[in-house]
Amino acid sequence: MASPIADLTYRNYDGPLEPPINRWWAIAKLSMKLSTKKKGFWAWSTLSAFWYIILLIFFYFTETVVSNVGAVGQKASPINNLIWKDQFLNAFGESQLFLFILALLMGAGTIANDNRAKALLVYLSKPCSKLDYVIGKWLGIFVPMTIVTAVPALIFYMYCLMSYRSAGFWTQDPWLIVRLLGMILIPGTLYSSITLAISSMFQQGRLAGGVFAGVYFISYFITLAMEGAYVSMSMGGSNPPGIVKGLFYCSVDGLQAAMAKIILHTNGSPKLPIPGGAKFQVPEPSTFIFVPAFFGVCALSLLIAWSQIRAVEVVR
Amino acid sequence: MSVATIQNLVVRYGNFTALNGLSCEISEGCTGLLGPNGAGKTTLIKTILGFIKPTSGTATVLGYDIEAAGTAIRQKVGLMPEQDCHIPGTTAVQFVAYAGELAGMPGDQAIRRAHEVLDYCGLGEARYRNVETYSTGMKQRIKLAQALVHGPKLLLLDEPTNGLDPAGREEMLELVRSVSHGKGLSVIVSSHLLPDIERVCDRVVVVMQGQLRAQGTIKDLKKIEGRPVDIELRDPSPAFVTAMQAQGAVVMPPKRTTYRIQLPGLPEEVAKIAMQVARDSGAQVRGFVIAERSLEDAFLEAISAK
Repeated sequence: MASPIADLTYRNYDGPLEPPINRWWAIAKLSMKLSTKKKGFWAWSTLSAFWYIILLIFFYFTETVVSNVGAVGQKASPINNLIWKDQFLNAFGESQLFLFILALLMGAGTIANDNRAKALLVYLSKPCSKLDYVIGKWLGIFVPMTIVTAVPALIFYMYCLMSYRSAGFWTQDPWLIVRLLGMILIPGTLYSSITLAISSMFQQGRLAGGVFAGVYFISYFITLAMEGAYVSMSMGGSNPPGIVKGLFYCSVDGLQAAMAKIILHTNGSPKLPIPGGAKFQVPEPSTFIFVPAFFGVCALSLLIAWSQIRAVEVVR
Repeated sequence: MSVATIQNLVVRYGNFTALNGLSCEISEGCTGLLGPNGAGKTTLIKTILGFIKPTSGTATVLGYDIEAAGTAIRQKVGLMPEQDCHIPGTTAVQFVAYAGELAGMPGDQAIRRAHEVLDYCGLGEARYRNVETYSTGMKQRIKLAQALVHGPKLLLLDEPTNGLDPAGREEMLELVRSVSHGKGLSVIVSSHLLPDIERVCDRVVVVMQGQLRAQGTIKDLKKIEGRPVDIELRDPSPAFVTAMQAQGAVVMPPKRTTYRIQLPGLPEEVAKIAMQVARDSGAQVRGFVIAERSLEDAFLEAISAK
């Protein structure tokens, strides 16, 4: 048999080795690479920006109509009456379902599939700690999700800044960009923490996904029920009790809405121009309750993930 | 020089003691970690890597303390686990390169090295296939490749021939033998398969119920006390036996035409006497070897000793 041209005998590696401080980045990179390979990622990411597209279409038609009715009509343009930060809040709210699907797609199997494939033996037998693993996996979900949230919001911001300064876009809240930068971190932070915790408890990505979907939808029904109660009480002229307002935010969706309202410092306004619709908006929640609650949920989730990660199954 | 020194190591899982005051020294080269199922071999490997915290005792691996320098140890050690393991959704080359990056190799070096070790492990043709589609033999090879990628100084192989067919087993043992000899790499092979250990290792450590039962070179373990010799004759010869006994030799019952004879003195002296006796008694000598027991016998003796 002819010998191969290449030298196939074993040789030791004597090349450079990086210090063991940034192993989490290698883990995050692979997680992101595997997520962005999925077609679903791009499809759901695009769909999550749909409300911004609707707003742009609305602006386009409004401007077209207004330009035909002269100066008086221009003054009465609905664009002039918009609360700009609420547009971002509404778009954020509308993107929640799509971001949840994205989290499901990227996060449900992130540790569960590693458990199934016993990949932790590979990770932890290398100079890579449990902390590297958790940080890497967390960033692997957080970074793409934050980019997906940030890109349409910032494009819309830039567009409005260039086009609607005369409609109060800048003067209403000069700090809006800072608030926006805070808001776009919310879904990535919460979803990556929760999915990591749930995923770490299972050996199958699908099972973890099912449980995450269950948690999301069951808690979402609480939010829906409280919203219904709030609106009906408001319509009846009575002041809804605090418990209704509090429970409205006690869901995966609600917690993010609470954080978004706190960061944007707004109660929100209706998506459709309903006269007096603002009174049906559940007001901004207490910062002192919901900010610690948000970070508490994230920290608890990470703690659960941390405690579940083991290189070996020790049966006691 | 020893690659691992273990002193009074105790590892407990709740009430169950997996390692019970184990002390041993593992030298450079290829060492077999022998023991029946549940003896504590895998626990020892996992403790060495820092996966399990010992209850008491100390151990150093490549000069690093296992409790204080887990990361430094894992930087220089490669593990081929017993169970199938891979990174879901990756091809072989991605998986091995990723294992390299986890060990600190820069991305370009990791890719280059991944190709190199995959070639070495015989997976060159299948390197772009998803690892999940691999056969058992290929999965064993890729586990070896990911353990080798960062150029470890010590390789821990936990049951490397598990689930392999005879041809695959031969190939895997050949790979292990080749990597562990003359490549500047020490290897610890954990197995309960004595022929595998005998084929690739120079030394063994026998563990039973979490305790050391025997250690040393395979050659030494197979030695029989009193250094008897095996003399193979052409035909059975009672006259030869009688003449040897007259010389003061202890002759054990023959196996076919092979006689095990124990006589004081060096093997060369025994050979000289035996040849003389054979000539005198008209027996034709076909073979003369220093008698040794099988590794299986040595192992059984070690594990049955209290």
